[in-house]
Amino acid sequence: MAPRIQNQVVSNSLLPYLSPSSTTSSSTCLPRLPSTSSPSLAYRPRQSCRSLSSTVAPQTRRREEMFGWLHGPGARLKNHVPGQTNYLTSFKDKDGNLLSSTKIFPQNLMYRSESILSEDLRNEIYDRVVRQKRSVRAVSVELQVDMRRVAAVVRLVELENRMKEQDKPLALPYARAIHEMVPTSNYNKEYGSGRPHEGINDLPVHRLTNPQIFYPVSESRQFNRVDAGRVFSAAPALETSQVEENAADPYASVARITQNPGSIETVGKGDDEQQVLQPSDMRIPHPHLVAKERQNIINPNEFHKNREIYNERLAAEENATQERKLKAEKRREKQMLRVQPADSRFEFRIKDVVVSKETTGKDGRGARAPGRRYGVPSYDRKRGQVKIPTRVVV
Amino acid sequence: MRNRATTKLNKPKVRQSWSKWNLYNLQRFKLPFAVYRTHFQQKWDAKSAARAYHGEQVSEKQWTGMFSPRIRSVMPMDARKLAQDDGSLKSAGRGSGLFKTEEDALKEEQKQIPYSQMTFAPLERRLDVAIFRAMFASSARQARQFVIHGAVTVNGKPMRHPSYLLNPGDLFQVEPERVMYATGAPKDKVDRREIRLANKEAEEAKEKEAEAAEEAEGEAAEEAKENSVENPRKTLKLLLSQAKEIMSTDKKTLPAKRKQELRGFQKAVRRVLSRSESSTILTDSLESQFSQLTLLLRAREADKKNKDMEETQEKGEEAEKPKSKPESSADDAEATETGQQQLRDNLSEAFAMATQNKEVDMSELTRDEVQVLKRALVQMRDNPIDHSKPYATPWRPRDYMSAFATIPRYLEVNHNICAAVYLRHPVARPGYSEVPSPFSDSVGTMAFTWYLRRR
Repeated sequence: MAPRIQNQVVSNSLLPYLSPSSTTSSSTCLPRLPSTSSPSLAYRPRQSCRSLSSTVAPQTRRREEMFGWLHGPGARLKNHVPGQTNYLTSFKDKDGNLLSSTKIFPQNLMYRSESILSEDLRNEIYDRVVRQKRSVRAVSVELQVDMRRVAAVVRLVELENRMKEQDKPLALPYARAIHEMVPTSNYNKEYGSGRPHEGINDLPVHRLTNPQIFYPVSESRQFNRVDAGRVFSAAPALETSQVEENAADPYASVARITQNPGSIETVGKGDDEQQVLQPSDMRIPHPHLVAKERQNIINPNEFHKNREIYNERLAAEENATQERKLKAEKRREKQMLRVQPADSRFEFRIKDVVVSKETTGKDGRGARAPGRRYGVPSYDRKRGQVKIPTRVVV
Repeated sequence: MRNRATTKLNKPKVRQSWSKWNLYNLQRFKLPFAVYRTHFQQKWDAKSAARAYHGEQVSEKQWTGMFSPRIRSVMPMDARKLAQDDGSLKSAGRGSGLFKTEEDALKEEQKQIPYSQMTFAPLERRLDVAIFRAMFASSARQARQFVIHGAVTVNGKPMRHPSYLLNPGDLFQVEPERVMYATGAPKDKVDRREIRLANKEAEEAKEKEAEAAEEAEGEAAEEAKENSVENPRKTLKLLLSQAKEIMSTDKKTLPAKRKQELRGFQKAVRRVLSRSESSTILTDSLESQFSQLTLLLRAREADKKNKDMEETQEKGEEAEKPKSKPESSADDAEATETGQQQLRDNLSEAFAMATQNKEVDMSELTRDEVQVLKRALVQMRDNPIDHSKPYATPWRPRDYMSAFATIPRYLEVNHNICAAVYLRHPVARPGYSEVPSPFSDSVGTMAFTWYLRRR
């Protein structure tokens, strides 16, 4: 709601521009003010703006209360204290020092204001990935920052550097103010980062694990996470030989899947075909960390050897990922024809349309398939069709 | 689209906004006492309160289409625990582990996943809401306006649909000027008055210039010479005191006073720098400006003894000369006017004279003082007084901004360039929900059931 011009503080700012005669003659709510103005005027019980009416204008009591609160208990919220959060829930101790809290909403205790990356930590991430050519996965583990965040930081710092080169205006004072208001995860060249920025091994809760299943198992049998996944996706139990193989070398079974995700076993037929739910050891972002811990448990004293094995595994994982990406890229290139006319600034990328059951559907009338097909109307121009883009290609 | 996002005081609604009205409403927000309300009424209250905050700009029909009863959540996994047990320990016995202490059970109970707080998670995907969450706008409405007015790009391409749903990995950017305007304190009447005065001065100066252009250029050279003869030591002292005043974090110093000092400092630095040989120094990089400034004032750090000082200074001068020579020669080539060249010669002569004067050499600075001077310069460069800006300059955060300052984890924000990456969809985890919502658990649950009813 636009603030009413009943408030004397507000109207005061208008006064110099209004001649005194117009103020007295006008029937607006501008009150006649004493010549001195002070902030305390806002608290004073207000009279009606109509001179002959004794009715008090509505809402004034509430406005008074609001300004009373803003000048009283809420006054500390007006300006921030650098390096501290200044939320409604933070309070002052006996000595009058502000104790910062991470709860930003007094009623929602389930939301915390979490720390953001400090400038130093951001630069360190960029330095390790771009200059030292470390992999995103390795940097993520070292600095305890999510892999997606590492990638985003690299993108953003790259963009920042480009903007600096082009002499575009930056919002530096704004950035400084935000970093003073919000908790930050710091990084020190000598001591490294203090506590981890965030958990890096978050397991997304899978849709298949929602139902509670009663599944009787004999007590003599070892029922582990692999078995549980198979039960959730209604797959038959593993062969004994396979179980023994997995138990002998747990990392090999994990690496087989993580380095080649296409080899996941499927169950069901037709539309119901789905992949067997894998154990959490495989579905977490850093499966190699589990193998590392297992190695540490088996050989607690051979620190260097464990480290070597870990590095080898990490390298193997990265190589496999790289290879997979290259292969996919090649396949895509194969399907696409690039044409660039000599005097054109455009490059035309032509891809053959594949008409198959997968693309056009069983009856050949799939709405999402490309091309104009007989008997398949295009609803493109129809009323009510949403045209907001669903993705922006980089 | 009419703005229905009013902040009333009689029937308070909490909004996605940083206004002080909203802050007041937020701290006193209360749902009607449930005992006197039917179950339907309770659901209605919860839903209407929650919707006034979450996606108030989205129509009810659109929102019901977006609502999803499936809520994303994650479980943080400990690699060590996964390595210790392949799951058979947990499923041992009758299916819930052989050994389970009461403590473990209590811990599990305390850390429930707040699913009901995630009711409005799909709205966080919207571009306008994401801009508000990244703290680029002071309200969701303003964020929406930025998008519509074309100040926002997604992945480098302009995007004018506030309802664009961000995909994981999308990078969105708002023009830094708009962000500074949205988050900065507004101009007050003193600022506005200063703009008027500055404009007036500029006009007068223009008129004067037109008159002065006819007069001889020799006079200008003389004036410049007078300026350069001004005692550098005094200037430096003045500069330092002003810089200290600016950088002081003392709360007693009034903002107006600090601003005055800053303005004086700016003027003084400009005056000193205008004595420099290079004509481009005023637009040069900060480093070169600083080195030029210290050179002009012959300020050096006091870590060396006086004996060494003279020698090193001479060396320093020699080292500086070849650096500055190509610059000046390039300038000379560009400048065709002989008057300017003459002026430059006069200046360099004056400086050469000043270097031989030994009294000036004693103007030493401690390292701290140099640092202070440098920092003040940096701040002046980053956060200048500029009346052409639509916000109060030097920029400062708007009032009550800190009470709303939070950045959720599903965004990675670079505030320097006002760009952010939407990393992933918001998720719930044990004891924590990622959707910033001012409402308690019960409101979330009630709202969830309200929308569930229509599925």
